[in-house]
Amino acid sequence: MHRDEIPPGTLYLLILKTLARSGEMHGYEIANSIQRISDDVLQVEEGSLYPALQRMLIKGWVTAKWGTTAGNRRARYYQLTAASERSHG
Amino acid sequence: MNWLRELARRIRMLVNRRQFDSDLEEEMRLHLELRQQDQLESGKTADDAQAAARRRFGNVTSLKERSNMAWGWEWFEHLTQDVRFGLRILSKNLGVTFVIVLTLALGVGANTAIFGLVNGILLQRLPVPAPEQVVALVIQASGSPLGALGFSYPQFTDFRKQTEPFCEVFGQALGPVNFTADGHSDTLSVSAVSSNYFPTLGLKPSLGRLILPGEGEKPGEPAILVLGYSFWQKRFGGDPGVIGRQVRVGGKPATIVGVAPKEFRGQFSIFELDAYLSLNTLFPDASPNGFWNSRDHHSILSLGRLKAGVTHAQAQSRFDVVSQRLAAQYPVTDKGVSVRVMDERLSRPIPYANNTFLMFSGLFLILGALVLLLACTNIANILMARASVRQREMAIRAALGGARSRLVRQMLTETILTALLGGVAGVLLGGWLSRLIGSFHHTGFPVRLNFGFDWRVFAYALAVVVFTAIFAGLSPALRATRDDVNTVLHQGGRVDAAGGARHKVRGDLMAAQVAGSLMLLIVAGLFVRSLRAVEHMDLGFDPNQLLNVALDPSINNYTETQAKEFYRALEAKIRALPGVQSASLASSVPIGYIRGRQSVYVEGRPVPAGQRAPGILFNSVDSAYFETLRISLLLGRAFTDADGETSSLVAIINETMAKHFWPGENPIGKRFSLTSDAGPFVEIVGVASDGKYRTLAEDPESYFYIPLAQDFTFVRVLQIRSSVPSESLIPVVQREILALDANVPLEEIQTMKESLSGTLGYFIFRFGASLAAAMGLLGLLLAVVGVYGVVSYAATQRTQELGIRIALGASPRQVLALLLRQGAQLVAAGLLFGLAGAWALTRAMSHMLVGVSPSDPVTYVTVAALLSSITLLACWIPARRAMRIDPMVALRYE
Repeated sequence: MHRDEIPPGTLYLLILKTLARSGEMHGYEIANSIQRISDDVLQVEEGSLYPALQRMLIKGWVTAKWGTTAGNRRARYYQLTAASERSHG
Repeated sequence: MNWLRELARRIRMLVNRRQFDSDLEEEMRLHLELRQQDQLESGKTADDAQAAARRRFGNVTSLKERSNMAWGWEWFEHLTQDVRFGLRILSKNLGVTFVIVLTLALGVGANTAIFGLVNGILLQRLPVPAPEQVVALVIQASGSPLGALGFSYPQFTDFRKQTEPFCEVFGQALGPVNFTADGHSDTLSVSAVSSNYFPTLGLKPSLGRLILPGEGEKPGEPAILVLGYSFWQKRFGGDPGVIGRQVRVGGKPATIVGVAPKEFRGQFSIFELDAYLSLNTLFPDASPNGFWNSRDHHSILSLGRLKAGVTHAQAQSRFDVVSQRLAAQYPVTDKGVSVRVMDERLSRPIPYANNTFLMFSGLFLILGALVLLLACTNIANILMARASVRQREMAIRAALGGARSRLVRQMLTETILTALLGGVAGVLLGGWLSRLIGSFHHTGFPVRLNFGFDWRVFAYALAVVVFTAIFAGLSPALRATRDDVNTVLHQGGRVDAAGGARHKVRGDLMAAQVAGSLMLLIVAGLFVRSLRAVEHMDLGFDPNQLLNVALDPSINNYTETQAKEFYRALEAKIRALPGVQSASLASSVPIGYIRGRQSVYVEGRPVPAGQRAPGILFNSVDSAYFETLRISLLLGRAFTDADGETSSLVAIINETMAKHFWPGENPIGKRFSLTSDAGPFVEIVGVASDGKYRTLAEDPESYFYIPLAQDFTFVRVLQIRSSVPSESLIPVVQREILALDANVPLEEIQTMKESLSGTLGYFIFRFGASLAAAMGLLGLLLAVVGVYGVVSYAATQRTQELGIRIALGASPRQVLALLLRQGAQLVAAGLLFGLAGAWALTRAMSHMLVGVSPSDPVTYVTVAALLSSITLLACWIPARRAMRIDPMVALRYE
């Protein structure tokens, strides 16, 4: 089923780490932040962040809500849930 | 609990589908734009920046799809797509869809109707709480078939008391009974139930009360009855005021105490009881040899409710112990008697050893399956033809990247959609058919054949539909998608890529159809021939222009002397009527009202200790009886008026009885007793020819007649032989009876012919023959349509080839012969398999047929000839059309 090129666990872990450190972030910010930590995880396809985020939403590890960026644009902000903060944080 | 929350999130996503898609799109767009801006800032041109952003992001469409798929709904999405597409295809091909739906509706309809019948008769449990605990207790005496006897009342109470810790034994005695209320009387089918009957079944009255524990098990208690729900509706219009109403049952006053629950129709699935009496209401007689005290009066049919946790085997061993104990205690009556504990449903409709009912049901279910198979093959044919038309479409879709599994799934979805439509139509048709079956005309016992559909029937119909869809749909779908894309696209869809194999399959299907419909028609043919044989069977008497009038003057509180005087006067008056040739009185009517058996003790041959005297059917008749019924006497004399109360006892026996008891001897002058080895003895004065006594299908059976004058009964049947049609005498006879005594109720007045079409007579044969004939015709229709379809499709597919043949000089006759030869080969193969199949299937029918063997050559040959000529005609019509092909047109085709 998983057609991700990266082992999916790694990406989840990085997303969780990123969110744990900086609280709320939208997709582009998460992508940039992950690239700073590890160069190769999102090397192939930046967009594969989004299917991963969907799966984390299903699992209830993160929640999302719409907000506005600094440049005054609509963006979806992701945040760790209490449960995942306890187990991963 | 986590998975529940997860499921809730997934469902929320499914509901907010559009929102989800646009959110994702917006999110990705933002990402791309921000990245592009980032690139611009690092000094790239606008075009380069956009391209770089895209490259880094990846394939947007595929990422969207993957995000979507993460939620696990893609199967649903595909399904909705397939359904939407399927519906579009179906509505575009309305004609084909209609034919498939109709074919399937016929198949499903026939099957649901038959299954509904079997379900109602054999599978549905009693509508009582915990019905699985209810068992049938079937009594068996050594030497008699299972269920030939009932329990005597003392026997019944012995078993009830002694098996108590394992099983609550309850029972009932059945009977027709005269019922008078509001000044008019009817004959009702009732059961007299033991006082624990309703409490043990756990039923609640719909009105008033039911028969209470301990009630009605002593003669002399007040007579009471509970009405059956539908009888209450029919006769009293559902009037709640009937409770406490005084009526007459069997001529004696009785009180209505309640109405049975609506869904309870008595313990017999196949007929509905009108009322339930307490035992003393049906059996008021307290004499030592009567119902209450005699162990010889076998009239109770028993059921039991197993106590919680008791298995059939435990109950059975308890009954075995009690049977042995009773046999030791009452060696004369109870020796060799055992009780079999069985699932109540297996004892239906009546626990006979040779229960043809199960076989009947099995046979008709098989016939139903054959009809369905024919319908399926027709549908498969149509789908295959359509699949080859759509070959190009499939190839293009495959070339564009459609996975084969996806294409097959899509075609199956189409088939299932059509099948569901057909299924709904089929269930509606089945409902209508089962109402039609329920209204099948009959007289006599009130047989109930109209059962509602319950979940079992719907589940069956659904299984049938799914089977059809997969059976008929899978193979064409696999074939259509199997072909090499390249070949199909290159051929322009003109030639069938898998031509040879496909034609072979269609040929096999055609042969299978011929075989299936031959089996159906042979079974139908055998039933029809059996019905003909039954209708022309020698009954041992002449049933034409004979009128039966059943009377019971005891209802009017007549004494014996008064009753005799009444009958004498009536007979004299009837004989004087114009058109009446003769009239006589009897205590029972062949294949109608039976009085029961009498023990026969042959003089000089005492019954060995521990054995029972054989029970023989008998009738008490007057001196005109043999003349009136036209029963011929082979030896000796008929009764005369001189055979009276005070003269010596005499009897006339039938041929079978003579052969059985006095083989190779002249039975005239021999004597036997009806009471004991010690006499009194009855002298045989005549031998009558054999006849049918209980049912039409019975084997020759011993039977004897004694004079009515020497065996008084209140209930008698006046039989009138006339030179005018019997129906025309009915009003005249009624008038005469009224004139004689306006208070003597006429129990029943019916022509012999009408009485013979009842449940014990022609009914089951007519019913079986009609049902089988309907299935046979349906099968024939489906086969003809199928054969015609296959041959005409083959002819169109080969138009070009045939055109070339004609252009090269083949004569039209040769073309016709070519196509016909292929058709004829398939028909012949089908006939061969069909004959073998029919032969195997009909082995089970020997008990259902009368006067015709299951391998009756006439039926086999006639049906095979009929079917082959019809199917060959179905081949000939399209072949003839192909013969007229204009080679020029054929070659330019496409």
